[in-house]
Amino acid sequence: MLTETEETVVSVRDVNRTFSTDEGASNTVLDGVNLEVRKNECVVIIGPSGCGKSTLLNIIAGFDRPTSGSVTVGGKAVTSPGPDRAVVFQDYALLPWLNTIDNVALGLKLAGVPAKERLEQAKHYLEIVGLGHAEKRPVYRLSGGMQQRVSIARALAIKPKLLLMDEPFGALDAIQRAVMHQELTRIRKETESTVLFITHSLDEAVNLGDRVIALSTGISGNPPEVRVPLDYPRDPLSPEFVEVQREVKRLLS
Amino acid sequence: MSSRKASGLARSVGLGLVLPAVVVVLWWCATNFNWVVRLPYPQQVIETLWNWIFGTGPGPYDGTWLDAFLSSGARVLVGFIVAAVLGVGLGVLAGYFRTFGEMVDPLVQILRPIPSTAWVPLTLVFFGFGFEGAVFLIALGTFFPIFVNTIEGVRGVKASLLRVGRMLGGRTDQLLMSFVLPSALPNIFTGLRLGVGLSWVLVVVAEMGNVRNGLGYTLHDAYSMGRYDVIIASMISLGVLGFVTDRLVVLVQNMTLKWHREMSIHAD
Repeated sequence: MLTETEETVVSVRDVNRTFSTDEGASNTVLDGVNLEVRKNECVVIIGPSGCGKSTLLNIIAGFDRPTSGSVTVGGKAVTSPGPDRAVVFQDYALLPWLNTIDNVALGLKLAGVPAKERLEQAKHYLEIVGLGHAEKRPVYRLSGGMQQRVSIARALAIKPKLLLMDEPFGALDAIQRAVMHQELTRIRKETESTVLFITHSLDEAVNLGDRVIALSTGISGNPPEVRVPLDYPRDPLSPEFVEVQREVKRLLS
Repeated sequence: MSSRKASGLARSVGLGLVLPAVVVVLWWCATNFNWVVRLPYPQQVIETLWNWIFGTGPGPYDGTWLDAFLSSGARVLVGFIVAAVLGVGLGVLAGYFRTFGEMVDPLVQILRPIPSTAWVPLTLVFFGFGFEGAVFLIALGTFFPIFVNTIEGVRGVKASLLRVGRMLGGRTDQLLMSFVLPSALPNIFTGLRLGVGLSWVLVVVAEMGNVRNGLGYTLHDAYSMGRYDVIIASMISLGVLGFVTDRLVVLVQNMTLKWHREMSIHAD
């Protein structure tokens, strides 16, 4: 399936993750999962609560370790979190004591980039997410949608190989969410980002993904996937869109 | 300052003066109607305070307030700074590094309930009479509320914020300075406020046992002379200084924690 032009960014091989419960029993949430994400691709993992999709993202981010199996990003084995894999969290996780632009510049600051340069870069990414006017605003004064834009700009600013998005629009209302879907597609094109996106919304999955992977509870081996053969921007009301949704839904049940 | 802000300030100053005024009236009654024997009149204490501060007469206390204030103030300042540095520093480490926390916690919890007055004899043994002994006593007692509140603040740091720090590539020292410390600052300031008040209590303890000058020593000395006017003047001095230093900490807090104040329930 891999051609020479399709560089693999993420490679997940036979990943198991078993948690031990309080009663001493063990609970396997990921059982021999394989997954690949190629450069500039947006792969969406969809599944019900408890299916292990967040666990998988945490393992790729380096917040969690697999019980067995291997994960490489950009050819390097993942052992801890790092700036090659930027995470966008559902609760935004912005630093309230920093203003908007300083939040975006934070990763560059930690990397030792001089103030003038990092503020210029942060400004650039704020403009990309449509918040060029808000650089001095306190982040806690921004709406949920705007806070998530800041969080995306913060992630982009460290120029990661991979954007990991953990239900990032889950806390937004339907209208803001639709706007953010368009925005993410645009931002992804503009920054040539590779995205692994987690959701439990069918609509969101088919709207954003080049491929949608259906992760169901208790399934082992390679999870089934659907290619979304639709051009952006996608019309969620078109019969083709609904047809893909139906296909994904079938994989989940 | 806007007129709304100014009237808000006037309102809170006015509200704050109501109870002290009631206390002064009750005090005057207590003296005038002989509810309490040997209690000087409020106006007599004010006169004593005035002479203590500005007096040039031959009285033993005349004009000695500034010296007493500077002696006590220096001890409070140095003791508080030592306690703040150690309390915040060790508190951040003990709160963040579990092993270190488990190691120091039992010792701290054993030392903490020992009253500061119980340390006076040992302080004399360690340091003798003087500045160092007073600073030790103040720093020791002030350390605990700062340390305990700092640990509490560090343990309350949101896990997602630390994840942000780690995914942005932060080293441990950067996580502590850029994420843990700012996050814990609201609790740290609670500790600092408790600590600064406590350090005025402790300077009096120290000056009753370890040194021979300062506001607490004056109070002690006046007691042996039966000068209740001077005793009350000392108490008022200590109270006002405690109030002023607390306001100073709050001022720094408000400048540092604008975000926290604006996210809180009294925000406009």
